[in-house]
Amino acid sequence: MRIVIDIFLVIGLYFALAGTIGIIKMPDVFSRMQASTCVATLGMLCIAIAGILYAAFYMHNAGAAIKIAVIGLMVMVTNPIGSHVLARGAYKAGIRPEQKMEVDELGRDFDE
Amino acid sequence: MTDLMIIAVCFAVLAAMNLYRLAKGPTAADRMVAGDAMDNLICCVLILFSLFSGRGIYLDIALLSALFGIVDTILVGRYLEKGRGL
Amino acid sequence: MQKTKFPAVVATFLVCYAFWVLLTWSFKAQELAVGAGVSFLVALFAARFFIHEDAGWLFNPARFLKCIGYWLVIFPGELIKANLNMAKICFGGCTNINPGIVKVPTAMKSDYGLAAVSNSITLTPGTITMETAEDENGQNYLYVHWIDVKETDPEKAGEAIKGTMEKALKEVWQ
Repeated sequence: MRIVIDIFLVIGLYFALAGTIGIIKMPDVFSRMQASTCVATLGMLCIAIAGILYAAFYMHNAGAAIKIAVIGLMVMVTNPIGSHVLARGAYKAGIRPEQKMEVDELGRDFDE
Repeated sequence: MTDLMIIAVCFAVLAAMNLYRLAKGPTAADRMVAGDAMDNLICCVLILFSLFSGRGIYLDIALLSALFGIVDTILVGRYLEKGRGL
Repeated sequence: MQKTKFPAVVATFLVCYAFWVLLTWSFKAQELAVGAGVSFLVALFAARFFIHEDAGWLFNPARFLKCIGYWLVIFPGELIKANLNMAKICFGGCTNINPGIVKVPTAMKSDYGLAAVSNSITLTPGTITMETAEDENGQNYLYVHWIDVKETDPEKAGEAIKGTMEKALKEVWQ
């Protein structure tokens, strides 16, 4: 059981590192937003699963395990809403990436 | 027991790396993306530290951190969308 | 703004009370009573924002099982696949990306179905829903920011972005 918890922790750390590198190195706002989703989904979810296993099998504390599950569920439910609102707000505020996008159908339909 | 603390310190270092984008980012949306990611990472750190020290109060702080993180992301998004006046 | 209906208040009350019990996790009589009072007050004022259509749709067992099966089996598979793809791009130096915004049609009609599909798209790394639109025939469209555009044709792009997810969700919501 100890090994399973360690594996979940290391997977979470891997995806969080990938998301952080993406946030630092990506060229424009929307690509950075895609990378930050990586932190919030699998990074957060693996840490929450490892925490639930640890609290249930080592601390024998059902309240802590359920509270961690609620935290993970709340982050999974609320994160896409914030990401969606921020992307739409950034687009409507006139922020465009420097390099030309492949297709830009939102700009074609709404900018005219 | 110690491995929880090692992973928590690694997550704290990742949250500090996001400070670079928070300081440099050209627009407000860049800063808010980095702030959102930092909220999630600090929430992870608090979960791990609560399990390490065995005190349940850190879980409440983690829950509040995640909830208020989403509230200020939505606030900045609405502000950017509508201009002035929410 | 619609009026507050009684079944909507009951459904909101159940959700709030379940959340209270999960957060406190203590079963003393006075804490349960305070939770019931607070969640009834919240339900009275928030029901008209929370429930827009039929309030009792979740109490159908077959639909409930399909919903649980989607969120526990089909969606994590897509999530892990997209995450591995994203991690490969990030560790490869973030140079081989090809971003763009495509407009895809969706088969969903109701508000809940549209919300479920767009949240599933946003939650998988690599795609973000930016805006929804509706034309005069009642067909709903989603504007999706895609980090690696492979198709520009709307039907094929929609199949590549949300093919399996939408097929599973169409059986739950219409």
